[in-house]
Amino acid sequence: MIEGGSLVRATLSIWWVATGGRGFVIPFIIRRLVQFIPTILLSSFLIFIVISLAPGDFLSTAKLNPNISPEIIAQQRENLGLDKPVLIQYFLWMKNIILHADFGISFAYTQPVWNVMIPRIINSLWLVLFITILYYGMAVPLGVFGAVRQNSFADKAINVVMYFLLGFPSFFLALLAIFFILQLRFKYHWQIPLGGMTSDNFVNMSFWQRVGDVAKHLIIPAFIVAIHSVATLSRVIRGQMLEVLHSDYIRTARAKGVTEHTAIWKHTFKNGILPFVANIGGELPALIGGAGFVEVVFAYPGITPMLLDALNSKDLYLIAGFNLMTTILLIIGNILADILLVAVDPRVRLE
Amino acid sequence: MTTVSDPKKVKVLKPDRSQTQIGIALQQLRKNPLARFGGFGLILLYIMAIFAPFIAPDGLSNYSSSNITKFHPITPIHIHDPATGSLVRPFVYKYSQQLNMTTFVNEFQMTKEVCPIYYFVRGDKYRILGIPGNIHLFGTNNPECKVYLFGAETLGRDLFTRIMYASQISLTIGLGAVLVTTFLGLLLGGMAAYFGGWIDIFIMRLVEVIGSIPGLFLIVLLRAALPENINPILGLYVVIFLLALIDWGGTARATRAQLMSVRELDFASAAKSLGASDSRILWRHLLPTMSSYIIVGLSLSIPGMILFESSLSFIGIGAVEPYVSWGSLLAQAQEGGFASITQRPWVLIPGLFIVFTVMCFQLLGDGLRDAFDPRKRH
Repeated sequence: MIEGGSLVRATLSIWWVATGGRGFVIPFIIRRLVQFIPTILLSSFLIFIVISLAPGDFLSTAKLNPNISPEIIAQQRENLGLDKPVLIQYFLWMKNIILHADFGISFAYTQPVWNVMIPRIINSLWLVLFITILYYGMAVPLGVFGAVRQNSFADKAINVVMYFLLGFPSFFLALLAIFFILQLRFKYHWQIPLGGMTSDNFVNMSFWQRVGDVAKHLIIPAFIVAIHSVATLSRVIRGQMLEVLHSDYIRTARAKGVTEHTAIWKHTFKNGILPFVANIGGELPALIGGAGFVEVVFAYPGITPMLLDALNSKDLYLIAGFNLMTTILLIIGNILADILLVAVDPRVRLE
Repeated sequence: MTTVSDPKKVKVLKPDRSQTQIGIALQQLRKNPLARFGGFGLILLYIMAIFAPFIAPDGLSNYSSSNITKFHPITPIHIHDPATGSLVRPFVYKYSQQLNMTTFVNEFQMTKEVCPIYYFVRGDKYRILGIPGNIHLFGTNNPECKVYLFGAETLGRDLFTRIMYASQISLTIGLGAVLVTTFLGLLLGGMAAYFGGWIDIFIMRLVEVIGSIPGLFLIVLLRAALPENINPILGLYVVIFLLALIDWGGTARATRAQLMSVRELDFASAAKSLGASDSRILWRHLLPTMSSYIIVGLSLSIPGMILFESSLSFIGIGAVEPYVSWGSLLAQAQEGGFASITQRPWVLIPGLFIVFTVMCFQLLGDGLRDAFDPRKRH
């Protein structure tokens, strides 16, 4: 339970930021988690129903695999209750997950799904984290710039380029990026890392070298996903900023003689940006999806390439496990976004 | 003296008819040059798709097993005679293959042999809208020396031909999925608002649950539950179904909210007190209030759907052989590792078609949105 530990640390660090006498974060998190339990249960039920619709017994492929001993199959049959009705099977599956974090056995890897799944999920989380930071790191300045210098040449030029990028599928953008990086490599012999997550000599590196190496591999895929979807967000931020800039209280602020800098960054920016902080959780599914296609192109050891292998080998429990885990992670992401909103918006209370 | 005024200058007074909402919107749309460009581009694309078998010089999956033309390079079309420099019938040079003994890679080399291009040549049989034909727009009449306008792909099939045929799939699936999505969204959203009670709770919970699972992963899950080797035609319907299934929630939510608010307005209660039946109120009074939302929503969600379809085909959940879409054509750019793209950059060409199509739909969709928005009228 590695993420559990880091989650607790993250919440504790946010705790003292967010509590300015406006309620406690931990009861809030627990309340939100309880609110999300029906959604998690229903999604897991949906996921389970879909995998039980698949033709054949889950173990029929496993029986053909000489690496899986008949004892394991018999034990799995017992564990999963495959001779019982679907509803009972579902409860057994959930019971194993909740009590033992046992998502079943991955037939293709002949290992518990949990062990196969977790390293990939962590890799993808790093990518999604990078994407989110770059996404907001580009969209917010661009949106603010567009509003402050409305209809200037730069504003129009940025709009046209961003609009053009919207028409590219993210994987095509990634292919083009690979093409141009290869040209650069041939021409200037730059060592731009391409594909994968680590260099060959990763095992011999010190901790900080490793961090740098992974970051170097992450930056290009993350940048591609981020710039691909930045157009929509930066346009909405621009619109929101313009709306606030034209509101009465900004006119009042200007009339009482605050500097332009204060009017924009203190009065407009803080109010204009809040709806987007609230919506980080809502943006996550699209970012995860975008990350998936780029993972495939860059052969990044994330969730999606493994999921596609699992699809080809009909490794149903692995697919179900990924679906369930990412759903739970999305919900955690939503809760974190709520906490972030509390930290930046003094009007929101945790109650 | 009578003055005869120029008949062209006489202003014809139109009867003062009230304009419909859609009439005003179309008028606005015609004033928007970008939307006109998008619309024109789309008309061209769809004409290209319909006449794809005629424009393409070859059949969809024609390849020779004796003369292997794997990743044949682009054959430039020349119009000047090499000796005299005068204009001649367009021609291409024939390419020969040689195994490079140091790299063990087949290399294509241009020969001096000239293959002139003829128009309206007889070739592979096809059907356009049910009408059989075998005339192709251009060709060399020489199977050993074909025109490879965009090069060849991994099995040596002409990429230009494949792109033309793929346009039929790529331009249909996105559109079909959006139509099914809208239909499902209207139906289920309408049912939720109309029946209320547990049906409402069930449908809205379902929307929430589907929305809580990342779309790409849910599609992989659903695809895993379907049999692996399905009929290729059925496969196309499956893609439409998968796309629609994960995307109808937004429309359903909007339909429900709109119907719930409109239901309480005066004209709805007036219709009710006049004794109109429930279905008449729903179809004649409530749903028409959503017409502009539906038109704008449809046109704005098509580009996203086309992008998603191409991405799914790219990762192999989509059009299956012999059918191809632009996305699945791009998948071969991945073949043979990263460095191979630089040796055959033409495999990236299908992506430009995706970009152009999505661009046109975006421009038209934005134009429609502005046209239906009273604040943006001028």
